Amino acid sequence: MEQCCLLMKIKVVEINNSEYPCLLRQINNPPKKLYCKGKWDVDIFRNCLAVGGSRQMTTYGRRVTDELVSKIASVGITIVSGFMYGVDAQAHKAALLSGGKTIAVMPCGIDLIHPGYQKDIYEEIIAKGGLIISEIEGGSLPAPWTYPRRNRIIAGLSRATLVVEAGLKSGSLITAGLAKKFGRKLFAVPGPLTSSLSQGSLQLIKRGADMVTGVNDILADYGLVSPEYPANYFSYSGLNKLEQSIVEGLAQEPKEIDALSRLVNVSTSELGATISLMQLRGMVSEEKGKYYVNF
Amino acid sequence: MLVKVASALNLGLHTLAMEVEVNVANRGLPAFEIVGLPTKAVAESKERVRTAIINSDIQFPARRIVVNLAPADVPKQGSVYDLPIAVGILATVMHCRLPERSLFFGELSLDGTLRHTKGALLLALFAKERGVENIFIPKSSANEAAIIKGVNIYPVENLNQLLSFLCGQISFEPAIYKENQNKQIIVEAEFDMSEILGQEQAKRTMEIAAAGSHNLFMVGSPGSGKTMLARAFPGILPLLTEKESLEVTRIYSASGRIPPQGSIIKIRPFKAPHHTTSPVGLIGGGSRLKPGEVSLAHRGVLFLDEFNEFPRSALEALRQPLEDGYITICRSREKATFPSRFILVASANPCPCGYLYHPKKVCICTRREIEKYRKRISGPILDRIDLYVEVPVVDIKALSCDQKVKDCLESSKTIRQRIIKAREIQQRRFSKETIYTNAEMKNKHIKKYCQLSKEVNQILIKAGTNFHLSARSYFKMIRIARTIADLEGAQEILIPHMAEALQYRPRSEG
Repeated sequence: MEQCCLLMKIKVVEINNSEYPCLLRQINNPPKKLYCKGKWDVDIFRNCLAVGGSRQMTTYGRRVTDELVSKIASVGITIVSGFMYGVDAQAHKAALLSGGKTIAVMPCGIDLIHPGYQKDIYEEIIAKGGLIISEIEGGSLPAPWTYPRRNRIIAGLSRATLVVEAGLKSGSLITAGLAKKFGRKLFAVPGPLTSSLSQGSLQLIKRGADMVTGVNDILADYGLVSPEYPANYFSYSGLNKLEQSIVEGLAQEPKEIDALSRLVNVSTSELGATISLMQLRGMVSEEKGKYYVNF
Repeated sequence: MLVKVASALNLGLHTLAMEVEVNVANRGLPAFEIVGLPTKAVAESKERVRTAIINSDIQFPARRIVVNLAPADVPKQGSVYDLPIAVGILATVMHCRLPERSLFFGELSLDGTLRHTKGALLLALFAKERGVENIFIPKSSANEAAIIKGVNIYPVENLNQLLSFLCGQISFEPAIYKENQNKQIIVEAEFDMSEILGQEQAKRTMEIAAAGSHNLFMVGSPGSGKTMLARAFPGILPLLTEKESLEVTRIYSASGRIPPQGSIIKIRPFKAPHHTTSPVGLIGGGSRLKPGEVSLAHRGVLFLDEFNEFPRSALEALRQPLEDGYITICRSREKATFPSRFILVASANPCPCGYLYHPKKVCICTRREIEKYRKRISGPILDRIDLYVEVPVVDIKALSCDQKVKDCLESSKTIRQRIIKAREIQQRRFSKETIYTNAEMKNKHIKKYCQLSKEVNQILIKAGTNFHLSARSYFKMIRIARTIADLEGAQEILIPHMAEALQYRPRSEG
């Protein structure tokens, strides 16, 4: 597999080439050469959104990324991200799952897959018409200074940048800063005040980034509207009394089954049976021991 | 003059017939020799027998004595041949006839009394099988042997008493089995289930595990109460059935774990070996093939705390006992099979630092570390565990003020009542099979006893695709659903039973 990636044709696009993405050319220190894997298509760069966030993604972060990115990617906007684990990888995955296009900008040499265990995502991006880009040739390892340089490409390629979940030291704040500097739009998703992984994104909002409360906040900037924008989150019809109270209980806050059973006053065995069936119907999902209502 | 005394030899859980041939010669220099592959303990029996006879005020013959332990090619271990050797010598000296079809078995003390010996139950079982009528055995082991009806067990106190009986001077009553009077049979656990606040789902899982004897895996952060739950587990287990308790007592008898005057074991054993236990300690073996923890936990519970910390070799060795319910140990000299059908209760942290899902503390593990940690347990072992449950960290302070939590606390006794009922249903179901519980069901049993209706099957198939269940998990779900239905007393597996069973599937995502 490793060899297969090495053998894959690498395209080099120089800055004076007409195929070079024009948004990227506008920044003050654009890369002289871009190395790239996948099918180079100028169309892919037309509508790009950079998505960034913490590596230590919380469940909230994952759900928000899934929700926003899948809807954004499905209307034809390319998702650009940094291929790191956490929010980056989740954004790539969500874009691929909804049938959209995505570009991964690597902090390492074009021949290297980093982190290596995400090889399946890497291959899927290429297979589904996406791109892998790096400004570094060969198989050199990422270093602390290559990440900020990579981030300038991410921000530079995109019309707008979305920060989903970021701590105070998150690298995505660098991307956000660069986006501002390049005069691009900056979006940030608000998070709970109690989470350390929300402090960075909250700070961005405070300093003037656009707060995202729904997918149309972002799409409006691209002159688009999501066809499946829900009128009301958490609304399901045809529920029985127990199911209704489960949905209400979980919509307030995700809960463990023990806590939920105390709230709705039903034994864990009966609740377990009901919630398994609800999960099969796609109404709730479970992560890290807690149950959530699906949007 | 030659006397042959019948005795027996315990090898693992098996017993071999053995003959002690004692020849007291009229010619030759005085001597005392034992032949027939005696080990050190048997060879030393010479001195014990001589001293015991002298201290019983009987004259030790100053002649050439040769003792042969036949069959001569099997190594003899232990000190239980003291009694047959002494009886053989005394029979020649005192010219008394030995009763026919009798076995002698026991270790002598220097003052002529008999000491408690291991393996008395095995001996009685062997005697019954072979049609042996009388067993002469140390008094303190007699009760244990008397569990088996239909064999006369003579509780021998000392050599003088035995000699008087053999010479027809006194009468001797066989021992009658007495259930242990001084110790009441109360299933006791370190904790009662009602002492554990919250953890409703974990408790429910334990109930299902106990009812169908399913293996159970608990994952939770340090301090979430995994160990406490496991320690409370014996309290909800029903007593052993008659068949089961004989199986268990046999293993304990063979390894010398039945105390003097001990009787049959009724309470399910609970074994919690530390994670530094060696494979041999866990599985059994050693130079004299002893049963390991898995066999000592037979029909009971084997609790492996910090499951991931056990050496891989020890965990992998659990495969056969988990699958087959017995373990066969082969060494160059001997081979033994021990039963090992236990409920495995394993507990582990979600990650090396332990705080992956902790509500307050932050996990400091990298993804790679977590993956490495989880990979310590192989797929085949996880495949053999039916029930998975996450044990969340609870806020004890908040819970202890909550009246609702207190109201739904159940004592171990109440839970045990439900389990006993579910086990009775299983006993009736499997009365014509060789298995006892739902967890032991193989595919053919599932086909026979767990017919799923169309709707239930649909749910299972849908869950199979949605939750990525393996083929093996599919059968696990049916087994668990069967137990849940049994707990409710339902004939058929219904949708709620199957839906609840899905709660206890392994969670693959990190």
